[in-house]
Amino acid sequence: MNFEFTEDQTAFVEAVRRIAAHHRTTALTHERVQYAQALDADLAQAQLFDAMAVEELGGVAAAAAVMELSRLPLCCELAASALVAPWLCAEWPRPYAVLWEDDRRPVRFLPVARTVLRVQGSAVQAARLSAGDVLTDNGLFAYPAGRLARAEALQWHTLPGDAGRLRAAWQTGVAAELAGALSAALDAVLDHVRTRRQFGRPLGSFQAVQHRLAECATRVEGLRWLAFKAAGTFDALDAALAAATAMDAGCRVSYDLHQFMGAMGLTLEHPLHRWTYRARSLCAELGGASRQYAAAARAAWGQAHAGAAEP
Amino acid sequence: MDFEWTDEQAAVRERVRAFLRRELPPNWDAVARHGPGSAEVTAFSMQFCPRLAAEGLLVPHWPGEYGGREARPWEHFIIGEELWAAGEPRGAQYMNVNYIGPTLMRYGTEAQRERYLPAMAAGRAIWCQGFSEPSAGSDLASLRTRAERRGREYVINGSKVWTSYAGLAQHCFLLARTGGTGRSGICIFLVDMDTPGITVRPIPSLIGMGDIHEVFFDDVVVPQEALLGEEGQAWPIIGYALSHERVGIARYAFSRRVLDGMVRLLRSRGEFDDDSAVQSRAGQALAACEAARLLVYRVVDQRARGLPPSADANLARVAVVAADRAVADFGLEFLGDTFFGEDFPLHLAHHERAIAAGIASGAAEIQLNLVAFERLGLPREARP
Repeated sequence: MNFEFTEDQTAFVEAVRRIAAHHRTTALTHERVQYAQALDADLAQAQLFDAMAVEELGGVAAAAAVMELSRLPLCCELAASALVAPWLCAEWPRPYAVLWEDDRRPVRFLPVARTVLRVQGSAVQAARLSAGDVLTDNGLFAYPAGRLARAEALQWHTLPGDAGRLRAAWQTGVAAELAGALSAALDAVLDHVRTRRQFGRPLGSFQAVQHRLAECATRVEGLRWLAFKAAGTFDALDAALAAATAMDAGCRVSYDLHQFMGAMGLTLEHPLHRWTYRARSLCAELGGASRQYAAAARAAWGQAHAGAAEP
Repeated sequence: MDFEWTDEQAAVRERVRAFLRRELPPNWDAVARHGPGSAEVTAFSMQFCPRLAAEGLLVPHWPGEYGGREARPWEHFIIGEELWAAGEPRGAQYMNVNYIGPTLMRYGTEAQRERYLPAMAAGRAIWCQGFSEPSAGSDLASLRTRAERRGREYVINGSKVWTSYAGLAQHCFLLARTGGTGRSGICIFLVDMDTPGITVRPIPSLIGMGDIHEVFFDDVVVPQEALLGEEGQAWPIIGYALSHERVGIARYAFSRRVLDGMVRLLRSRGEFDDDSAVQSRAGQALAACEAARLLVYRVVDQRARGLPPSADANLARVAVVAADRAVADFGLEFLGDTFFGEDFPLHLAHHERAIAAGIASGAAEIQLNLVAFERLGLPREARP
C-alpha cells in the first residue's frame, strides 16, 4: 500500500502540469463548449497519452493526467486517449468517442472524434469518422456531443479487446475527469469565499459555508483515491465504486459550489459553468450513479443468476 | 502508487485472522454486542490480550524495551483493522496500545513509563480517558476540573462525563486545570481509579451499559509524579495523542463486515439478486466504506513515511462517520424487522454505534472545522 507517485510518475505529472499551465491562459469564450484544439495537439505531440503503455507509469499516471487536464476550464478528449487507446486501439487516430449500446444520449466528443468505438455485447468495434458522419447535438453540456448520422454505413472493425476491460477503463476515466473538474471548481469557490466579504467578514469564515465545503472536499478526496485505485487495478469492483462515487459527488458537490459562488457563478464570464456542465454530463454516463452502485454491488457480492444487462 | 499488500503485510493479516479463529469463542458476537467497555468484553479482554501479547500482536509497533519489536505502522494498523472488524476483543485496551502507551513513551517520565507500560504491553491494563465535562464537550479547552498544587501533591476537584470505560478502569488519563482559563492552564494527570474521592456512576445509554459514565473527583489527592509532562503542556500532548486516535479505530472495517452480513441475509431471503434498488443502495454503502478505507489508509501511509499529522486525518474521520451511517441506514431500510432481532447481535451493535460515531473521539463538526481551517485555508470564525 503506497499512496505516493514514483519518481517517474512524479516527473510525468509535472510535465502534464506544465502543458496545462501553458493552456490555462487561453482566452475563455462565453460559449458553453470550448474544445481546446491547441491543447489536444500539444498533448499528442508530447506523447502524454502513451503513459499507460509505459511500465514505469501505468494506469495511475494516465489517470493522474486525466485529473490534471480536467482541471482546465477547457475541454479536450482525454479519458479514451489516456486510459483506453494504449491497450485497445493505439493505431487508430484520436480523438475518440465511445458508444455504449442502449445509451440513447448524444455521445461526448463525437463531433471532434476521428475514431468511434462501440460496444456490442462482449465485442468492441471501431470505425473511422469522416465529415458528414456525425450530427452535432451539444445540448446543455460543456462537451461537444452528437449522434451518428447512419451508424451502419460506417466500416466497423472488430477489435481484439475485451468489453469488460473497456468498461472498467471508461468508469475509471469518468471518475478521473470528475475528480479533476470538481477539484478545480472547489478551488475556484474556495478562492471566492476567502476574499468575498459580506457582513464585514469573508464568506468563508461562516461555519455554515465551511462545513459544506469541508464535506465537498471529503467527497472529492474520496472519489480521487477510488479513481486512483481503479486506475491501478482496472478491477470491475474498483472501477464501479469509483464511477458511482464520482457521479454521486458530481451532482451533490456542483450544487454547493454554485451556491457559494452566488450570482457570479451564474455568469458565462466565470468558468465555474464549464466544470459544472462537464461534471453534470459525466453524472449521467453509463446509466448514472444508481446503476453504477448496483454494478459495484454485483461485482462485490456476485449474482445468483444473470440480471439486466449492464447499461 | 500501489494498492496491493506486500507479502509480509498479507501474512500479518492472515496471522491475526487465524489467531481470531482460534481464540474467539462460538458466542463471541453475542459478547461483542455489548461494546468494548462492557463488563462482558472487559472480562474477555483480560484473557484475550495476554494471549495476543504472547503472540506478539498486541504492541508490535512499540520499541523493544517496552515489549514491542518496532514493527512498521502498517503492521500495527492491519492488526487493529482486523480486531475492530471482529468486534474489538481487546475491549478498552485498544486505547492503551494506540495512543496512551505511545504518549507516555514520548512525554512520560522514566518512572511513569516503568510503572504503566509493562501492564499495557502484557494486556492487563484498563484505562479511561477523563476529557469531557458537563460544560466542556467539543469545547474541551473550557474544562473546569481543577487540580490545586499543595506541596508535593495535587488535590483534584471536579467531574467528568461521557467517560468511556471508567467503570472498570484501573487508571485515568485525566485533564484538569492548574492555571487560568484556556488551553495553557490545562494539565494531564495519570490517576489511579481506586484513589479515595473518586466516584464512578454508569450512565444508561443507547450504546449499552458500561460504556459511558460520570466520574466525580472530590478532594482526590495525587502525587506530583502523576503529572504527565509540564504544567500547561497538555494541549500539544493531547494533539499528539488524538492524532493517533483519529484513525486508530477502523470503523469502516466493522461496517463493511456488517454490510456483507446484511447482503448475505437479504440474498438468503431472495431479496437481493432481483432487486436493483437494494443492489444500488448496498453499492452506495459499500462505496462509502471503501472511500473511508482509502482515506484512512492515506493517513497511515503518511504516518509510515514519518510525515507529521495533518488535516487528512480529520477528513478521513468525516468519511468514516458517513460510512457507518450509510451501512446502518441500508440495514434499517431493507432489513427492518430482522435488523432489530437478537439473532444478529452485531447488526444491533453496529446500528447503535453508528449513531455515536459522529460524537465520540471529537465530534464530526470539529473535524469539519479542522478540515476547513487547515486543509481548505478558510478563515476561522470569530468566537464570541
